[in-house]
Amino acid sequence: MVCRIDCCTPMTSANMAELALFFSYEFTLLALAAGLLASVLGGVLGTFVVVKRLVFIAGGISHAAFAGLGFFYWLGFDPLIGAVLVAVAAALFLGLFSEGQARSQDAMIGVLWAGGMAVGVLFIHLTPGYAPNLMTYLFGDILTVAPRDVVLLAVLAVVTLALLAVLHRGLIAVAFDETFARVQGVPVRALTLLLLVLVALAVILLIQVVGIVLLLALFTLPPMIALMLINRSFALVLLVAVLVGMLMTTGGIAASWTLDLPTGPAIVLTGIVFGSLIWAGKAVSRGKNS
Amino acid sequence: MSMAPLLQLEDVTFGYDSEPVLRDVNLQIHDRDFLAIIGPNGGGKTTLLRLILGLESPWAGRVRWAGGGIPRIGYVPQFSTFDRNFPLRLRETVLMGRIGHGGWLRRRNRADGEAVDRVLADLGLAPLADQPIADLSGGQLQRALIARAMVCEPEILFLDEPTASVDAETRGALSNLLAELNRNIPVVVVTHDVTAMAVHVKQIACVNRRLFYHGSGQLSHSQLEEAYGCPVELIAHGVPHRLLHAHDECEHG
Repeated sequence: MVCRIDCCTPMTSANMAELALFFSYEFTLLALAAGLLASVLGGVLGTFVVVKRLVFIAGGISHAAFAGLGFFYWLGFDPLIGAVLVAVAAALFLGLFSEGQARSQDAMIGVLWAGGMAVGVLFIHLTPGYAPNLMTYLFGDILTVAPRDVVLLAVLAVVTLALLAVLHRGLIAVAFDETFARVQGVPVRALTLLLLVLVALAVILLIQVVGIVLLLALFTLPPMIALMLINRSFALVLLVAVLVGMLMTTGGIAASWTLDLPTGPAIVLTGIVFGSLIWAGKAVSRGKNS
Repeated sequence: MSMAPLLQLEDVTFGYDSEPVLRDVNLQIHDRDFLAIIGPNGGGKTTLLRLILGLESPWAGRVRWAGGGIPRIGYVPQFSTFDRNFPLRLRETVLMGRIGHGGWLRRRNRADGEAVDRVLADLGLAPLADQPIADLSGGQLQRALIARAMVCEPEILFLDEPTASVDAETRGALSNLLAELNRNIPVVVVTHDVTAMAVHVKQIACVNRRLFYHGSGQLSHSQLEEAYGCPVELIAHGVPHRLLHAHDECEHG
């Protein structure tokens, strides 16, 4: 009898128990909060990054930041500060370097990308004693996110949304048509640099969530999916991108929790599956219409 | 025509690297001018426009506006400079033309909305106001960009290759529309295809490193050949000018 009851316990109650367990740990709640905040940053900043074609600048910044991270680790300082300093410097450098020199900027991104990783790995190698887990920096581990990281994510998300509220007309004008905006007296360069600095700061904080290699996914997948769904309003694209990011991160964390998968890849793959389904759905409905 | 020019370029020289793209350019634009800036690709047409718009600063010489400061400028870019699939309704796109009105940090107000409504009605775009720009035809998008330029109540209108991405029928309508706008403000068109604008253009400036200006008289064959650096065919259009026939060899030169 006992065995029968055990075997036939409905799945739902097992899931409910697992869910209750999920919400009973502090680290899982922190992970969830980090995921949701990362979605705000990825959705808002990522949409600008995607429409302005700055994806590889964001990639270059994140990999360059690894140099500062490794160097400060070697010095015995907080690696986060080193990463922030180098990321902001790289953002300003690439932003100022960009005007009319597309080819050399492209190459410069590559140099920063590889050079940053080389310097970072070198200094971590030189640091005596216990070496930090490189895999965590590269692929992230949202389940080990610290309260401080969540607070920083929240602060940056609030700052980003506040700036968006004040500057949205200028930012959208720059995103749509830079030359026209300049002719109208919008400070295009200052706004672009501001955007890149925000991206740099977000990138540093997202390293903890999905890691250097995978963080581009949080900047690209939600905006791409939102742009597939919405073509009439930029504000709506921003909102949908944030919501898609939230689905991605919570879905990824859930998959990682229930299937015992690494969270970074689980988040990214959740987004790719989601995007593919929407793309396929749109293709099918287009086929029916024509 | 004896009035002081709205815009005056004096001995302007400019380049991007070590070689100047434009050398010793002189040009005046007056109140009711309809100027076509023509010339071979790579000859400096777009660079000249960027200098006038204040997007570049000359190495030497001066760009001088009547009254000192840069006036309100209406600017219609080429299609290739922005993303046609950008998520915006036509109305919001036109509204962007008001961003220079009273400072870009200002929130939009009722006057902005009314100005947009007026321009949309004038250009026959009101029924399309809620369409996403991705769904507009080339001609509709071109008119939307002109609406965006006109909504700031500009004192001068510049268009960069306005006929490049629209069909022949639209070109004719566009030309008439510009002539109508030209009743109130000067219109400057940068184009490699002057035939589309031929009927209404009043002045021609031919740019190929240097600038060859053709005012109300006729642009002589030898002047054009000097500018293009290859033989060109002129066709007479009756009043008031002789104009340049589309010339493929020059396009590739």
